[in-house]
Amino acid sequence: MLEVLLQFRHRRFRRDLSAYLDDMLSERARRCLEAHLHSCQACRQELAELRGTVEALGSLPMAEVPRSFTLAAAPVAEVRPRPTARRLEFGLRLATATAAFVLALVVVGDFAGLPGGGEEEEGEMPAMLAPAAAETQRAMETAPAETPESAGITEAGPPPEETPAVMEAVPVETSEPLVPGITDVERLAPEVGTGVSEEEYAEKEAMEGAEVEEEAEAGAANLEEGAEAGAWEAQAVADDEGGLSREEAVRWLEVGLGAAVGVLVIVWAFARFQRSIGNRP
Amino acid sequence: MVIADEGQLIQSSRKGDLDAFNTLVQVYQRQVYNLCLRMLGSAAAEDAAQEAFINAYRRLSSFRGGNFRAWLLRIAANICCDELRRRHSRSAASLDATLEAGTPADVPSQLAGPEGEALRRELGRHLQQGLAALPAEQRLAVIFRDIHGLSYEELTEALGCSLGTVKSRIARGRARMREYLMARRELLPGQFRLEE
Repeated sequence: MLEVLLQFRHRRFRRDLSAYLDDMLSERARRCLEAHLHSCQACRQELAELRGTVEALGSLPMAEVPRSFTLAAAPVAEVRPRPTARRLEFGLRLATATAAFVLALVVVGDFAGLPGGGEEEEGEMPAMLAPAAAETQRAMETAPAETPESAGITEAGPPPEETPAVMEAVPVETSEPLVPGITDVERLAPEVGTGVSEEEYAEKEAMEGAEVEEEAEAGAANLEEGAEAGAWEAQAVADDEGGLSREEAVRWLEVGLGAAVGVLVIVWAFARFQRSIGNRP
Repeated sequence: MVIADEGQLIQSSRKGDLDAFNTLVQVYQRQVYNLCLRMLGSAAAEDAAQEAFINAYRRLSSFRGGNFRAWLLRIAANICCDELRRRHSRSAASLDATLEAGTPADVPSQLAGPEGEALRRELGRHLQQGLAALPAEQRLAVIFRDIHGLSYEELTEALGCSLGTVKSRIARGRARMREYLMARRELLPGQFRLEE
């Protein structure tokens, strides 16, 4: 233990030898070192070698200049356009900060469920689609599904397992006063799983965009006929379409802003690197 | 060397008086050139010294008073460090070339006779090799302190660091130089041979 302490003190004194040569130690440190030197042969030896090194370095003569370095003409102004660089840097910083702030807002808004986020949109949709859902429920009841009651209501007769049953149920639906039954069935058929042939599905998938418009038109026509459910459904379809587009827009906005922030950070770092080189006197 | 009207010359230089600045150049060019010589070797020292004075003229407005020599040497030191970084990135193999080129060939002899000249050259070569083996910041500190004779206060300005850092760099640089020379003590001239 004592040996470790002595070694530690020895290392500390060795470190002070250079400053001792230049008389840069405090009075107290100098006295301590001199007391140590009195008892430590190794430090005395090292001090002598260090002094010899300093003297050898001091003996190196200063070379004469090979030529005069006076300037024949005043050098042109600073190589780097500093003010422009500063303005550019300020602009880049501002743009970066703004982009980062907007990105943070979009991301936080997306996760917090503010308008524009897909989750909240879905949460709101049931309320908006409540009349349409009621209509859907009614359609399901009228459709020849698993329950025998529905078959009874439609009075369509054939057992629900058979595909033609649904085909027969369609006229029953259309005979209802709420005319949008056709579109209802067309839309409900995939959910029910039966009732429309494969060819018709393919046609519907191909004509999806046109159908949406047709549904909207049908809803408008139903409004004229006093069919509120049709109007609600048309509105629901329109809202649904609008929600999807907003979600996509937000996603693209996030991607775009993220890329912009990345590019700006790289440009800003490059400008800062250039400036750090230029800051030297 | 400090000239009496240095402040006046600096003021005139700031206003675009090239003659005043050239007077300052003549005063300090030897120190700037020797710093570049010790740091880079003779091949690159001339260009580095000229670049230092050009940069100093351009940046006179940034000189806030204080020690002009330390400010000027700091500019030269930065140029040397940039050049060393460039060399390091290009090739690490240029060290030997630097060492050979770094020994001044036109140093006036301080030892009499051809033998003295040979010994002086031998000592200079070993010292230059030892310096070149140091990290750049320690090399700068040792050159400034032991060859140029800057005070510790000037060193804080020339190196741009605190007094404690200056002391540490000098101590470590000297310690490594001592080890380098002690490992070659039999090659040194007798008068510089360190006693055991």
